[in-house]
Parts: sequence; structure tokens; C-alpha cells
Amino acid sequence: MPADFDPPTIDFEQLVQPHRVHRRLYTDPQIFGLEMTRVFAASWCYVGHESEIPEPGDYRTTTLGLRPVLMTRGRDGGINVLLNRCAHRGTVVAGEERGCAKRFVCPYHGWTYSPDGRLVAIPFPADHPAQDYSTLSLGRLEAASYRGFVFATLNADPEPLDCWLGEAREALDTIIDRHPGGEIAVMGSPQLLEFAGNWKLSWDNAADGLHATFAHHSYNTLGETVDVETVLARDPGSTPMVSKALRNGHMVVDQRPGIPQGPWATMRDVPFREPLESTLADAGAAELLDLATGSMLNLSLFPNLIFVGNQLLVVEPVAVDRTRLQLWLTSAPGAPPEIDLLRLRVDEDFVNFGTPDDLDMFERVQRGLSIPEMEWIDMSRGLPDDSTADGSVYGPITSEAPQRRYLAHYAELMTTPAKTRAL
Amino acid sequence: MTVAAAIPPEGPSPEASSDQAAVLARYDELGELLAGMDDRPPADPELWGPASAALLHEARLLDAGRFEDWLCGWTDDAVLWVPLSSPAHPGTDQSLLLDDRRRLAERVEWRRDPSAWGQQPPSRTVRIVGGVEAWPAPGGLVTRSTLLIDEHRHGRRQQLAGCQIHELVGDGLRRRTKILVVPALGTGVRNPSFLL
Ligand code: FES
Ligand SMILES: [Fe+2]
Repeated sequence: MPADFDPPTIDFEQLVQPHRVHRRLYTDPQIFGLEMTRVFAASWCYVGHESEIPEPGDYRTTTLGLRPVLMTRGRDGGINVLLNRCAHRGTVVAGEERGCAKRFVCPYHGWTYSPDGRLVAIPFPADHPAQDYSTLSLGRLEAASYRGFVFATLNADPEPLDCWLGEAREALDTIIDRHPGGEIAVMGSPQLLEFAGNWKLSWDNAADGLHATFAHHSYNTLGETVDVETVLARDPGSTPMVSKALRNGHMVVDQRPGIPQGPWATMRDVPFREPLESTLADAGAAELLDLATGSMLNLSLFPNLIFVGNQLLVVEPVAVDRTRLQLWLTSAPGAPPEIDLLRLRVDEDFVNFGTPDDLDMFERVQRGLSIPEMEWIDMSRGLPDDSTADGSVYGPITSEAPQRRYLAHYAELMTTPAKTRAL
Repeated sequence: MTVAAAIPPEGPSPEASSDQAAVLARYDELGELLAGMDDRPPADPELWGPASAALLHEARLLDAGRFEDWLCGWTDDAVLWVPLSSPAHPGTDQSLLLDDRRRLAERVEWRRDPSAWGQQPPSRTVRIVGGVEAWPAPGGLVTRSTLLIDEHRHGRRQQLAGCQIHELVGDGLRRRTKILVVPALGTGVRNPSFLL
């Protein structure tokens, strides 16, 4: 039985056209409800990073299309992604955001689960000796790791994770391999930012190479006071930077061709920059400073993971007009400690002086889209698309091809719902 | 009292082994100030008056949008730190922000930029400072107080509550350290760029 029973007939091919999309995608609670299953449950979604749960019993909670989800490390060292819902009457079992537990005991009636989700004990079993609970357990998601990044899905017949990543693997490898020893880890305590807007607004923005010149104007001029020309300040379409729209709604913006001098050269004066920089230079490791900034390769893995700077931006839908962004900072365990010390201050910089612009734009768009008489959102810039044999589209970063492509993939998911189920 | 005299004995010394050590010493100082707050003895009632006057003055300047005047009240080695949880350490945990004097000045400049959309139109705020406690500290005093900020902009309103720790030094009780702990940052807040 599909998770969204009684699906109403909504013609997504009508709502998502090659050059424009309908406002209903951003304002209709019914569509939002369908998305939580047809997009979020049916796709691979990023759940967390293995470095967050290094020891057996370690766990972290999150959501997947509104569903409370639990990522655990089992006694055998394996990673499990479970539905955080008691098989008895439905209580959320793990209430903390993270922790370490040998067993998960449901607080309501004491049913007890192992970290791999098996029901291992119920209280007072002798009262009802004939009862058989052997088929009950926490619901399980299909889970797979790509070099430490854990993804999960409720799709009954998912494409293997490697294939689903497809051409995006190349960018993901580049981001991981710039870390010494290919070692990348995720720090605890994400920044959590909410906005009063639909989750797709952050997706429309993720590969939007035009907005930085206008929406982030103040960040660009903040850089000018220290005589540093930020990448964002240039005419974005005339740079050799490229955006790519990949299969499955993934997107890449490659800023590297536009910054031949390397990203550290464009970095603003963040707090405590000079002493840490000089300590590294004295150690003859100044060339590592680029590691303190992002890869300049913005990778977005549809529908919920965006690499920006050295942060993982996880898009968490809350309601049709409410979204929570989780910003997790990555560290470089194989690099000198100055790199992570700098990363802390570097990634704060944009979150404080750039992200507020984006949050404001998202909320302004949501307010504008409330007008029923203005139905359409224009996404035509750069049409017609030139696509390669594998379906990828390349263009200058001011092309709206990435937005068109992810929305076309979205329309497919919404039109032909995949079967979903818990294991 | 002078600003120089305010650097606590366990803080960075001029002959600190390396530049990096000085940064870490300042970070440790911040982490310890936060971690040790709940263990402090009852406050010194003599300090309540001057501490309250300084904190209320700061709140008044911020609510009035007098950011340049507010900036003058910081020392050169100032740090404003807004951690995401407590306890936390500025060198190992992500924060919402950790500003030195230079970035504080940029923040003020940013608040004046008509294209800084995250604060244009600006947030209107009312700060309610309460529960002021103060203790003597090298070169000045340390205070803890509770804070309720009522904010509205674009016709929407949010309230954030938290506690703030100040290290105030010298005759003018200038801010050398301010730590703002807002528990709601751990669950998600809307555009927190008004938080100072
Ligand atoms: S609901 Fe979990 S034990 Fe009853
Ligand atoms: Fe942006």
C-alpha cells in the first residue's frame, strides 16, 4: 500500500514546463505531502557521516521526509538507518539528538531494541507466554555509504547508490580527496537555520550563479574594504566557471576555473587569521591554506545535501512554507590543526554575512508566490539546453539549466511514484 | 584599572610559545568562562549596580540601533562569541559566530549597508535584561545575566531567550568578552543576524 493513499490527480507535466514552473509547487500543502514520499522517501537521502558515530552504540537522529530517523553503529561496526518509531504503539524511541546506547529502551512500555533495530526484550514476558513478537523490530531503511557519507532510502527497488550518484561521484571524490589521506570528518553541533519558505527555494538557489552578484552585494563590498576582490563581485557569466546539471537532479557549480590563484587568496580577514596563517607558514605548510576554504566546487545531491564552503548543508523540509537548514562543518583530520581552527572562523563568515541574504530572498519569494493571479516562475535563462550523451547539461553559471534539470527530475518522481516500504 | 591590566594571569603572555598558542589560550579562556559559570559562588552585591548599569546601557544602544557607539565600548582584544550549545569550545565546536574587534567593526558596517538584505529592513528589537550577577575579576568584573530579545521585521516576530556572560574591564567597564548562549539555536531559529 503506498504511503500516500488516495493520491489526487495532479498533472506535474503541466506544473513543470521546460521554461517555467507553477507556483503551486511551492504553496500547495497537498503537493508537499506527496513530496515527502515520492521525492524524499523514494530517493537516496543523506542521513549523516560515519565519523559522527565512531563507536558501537553511537547514534544520531534526523528526519527523512518528516519521518524521525535514527542512524546507529551496530555492535558489529556496521551502520544502520532505522525508523525511530517503536513497533509497539509508535512512540519515538530515541529522544536525544545523539548519544551512545547499548540498547534503545522505549520510554512508554519498555520494549527494548538493539542498535541494529532488533526487538531484544519486552517487559514481563512470562505474563503472556504464548505471545510471539519475533516478527517485530524497528523499521529499517536501505542504507549505503559512499566513502563515509551515509545515505538511506525507503524505495522498494532503489538504484544502487553508486549509480544514483553517477557523474556526481567525480565531484564528491574531488571534495574528499583534497583532504590529506582522503580523510574528512563531520563536527558535531550544526548551525540550524529556519526560513518561512518551501524547501525547493534552497534547491533553486544551490546552483544559482547569478544571484550572488545581487543578493550578496553586501558581502562583496565587505570584501572590498580589505582590498580583496571576491569571486562573487565579478560579472558571473563572463567567468570561465561552469555549472553542470547531472542526472537525478544533482548539480555542480565549478568556480575553480575562475580562481586560478587559489581560494585562500580570495579569503577575507577572518578572526585570528594572521597568527594561524603565520604558524602554518613558519612550518613551511602555507600551501595547505587552501584547505581552510571550501573546494570551490559546489555540489548538490538531490534532494537534501549541498556542499558549500566546508559545510554540508542539509535541507530539511518542515512544512510547505517552512524549511530548516542544517549546516554541518567538515574537518580535515589529516591536516595540521591550524586548518580546522581556520575553518571554524572561515565558514562562520559567509553564514553571518551571506546566508542572511539568501534566507531573506527565500522568504520574499514565498511571500510573492502567495499571489494566486501570478501563476508562473520563469526558469528559461539559457534555453535551449545543450546536453551531452549521458544527459548532463553544461553552461555558464548564469544559465538556469540546473534548476530546469532538477525540476524535470522532480516532475518524473512525482508523476511516476516509486513503491516505498520499510524493511 | 587599565585594559592591559585586565588580561588575566592565565591568559596569553607576550612570550607565548607561538602565535597559535596565543589563539588557543584565548579560546580556552572562553571555553572555561562558559563552563565554570554555573559553579560560581553567590555574586558580589557591591558590583551589582555598576554591572547592571553597563549591561542596560549596552542593551539600550543595541535596541536603538546605535551600533557605532556600541562598538566603542569594546576593547582591542575583544571577542563576541555565540556558541551553538553549552558547554562548548571555540576551537573544536562550530559556533554561530566568534568575532574579534575587526569583525565586530565589519558587522557594524554591514548593518549600515542598504543592500545587506538579511537586515534590510532592519530588525526592531527590545532586550529585557534580568538576573544580573557580578563577580570581581582581574582588571574588572565578570557578569552573568539573562536576556530576552523580542524581534520583529517584515511583519514577523520572534522571541529568543538566553543568558549572557560579560567580562568588563577598566574604569569604563569596556567589554573584553561577551558570550551569548541562546538554547533555541540548537533547534533552529529564523535569520539570527540581529543577535549581538
Ligand atoms: S510504545 Fe514503545 S513500548 Fe509501548
Ligand atoms: Fe546565496
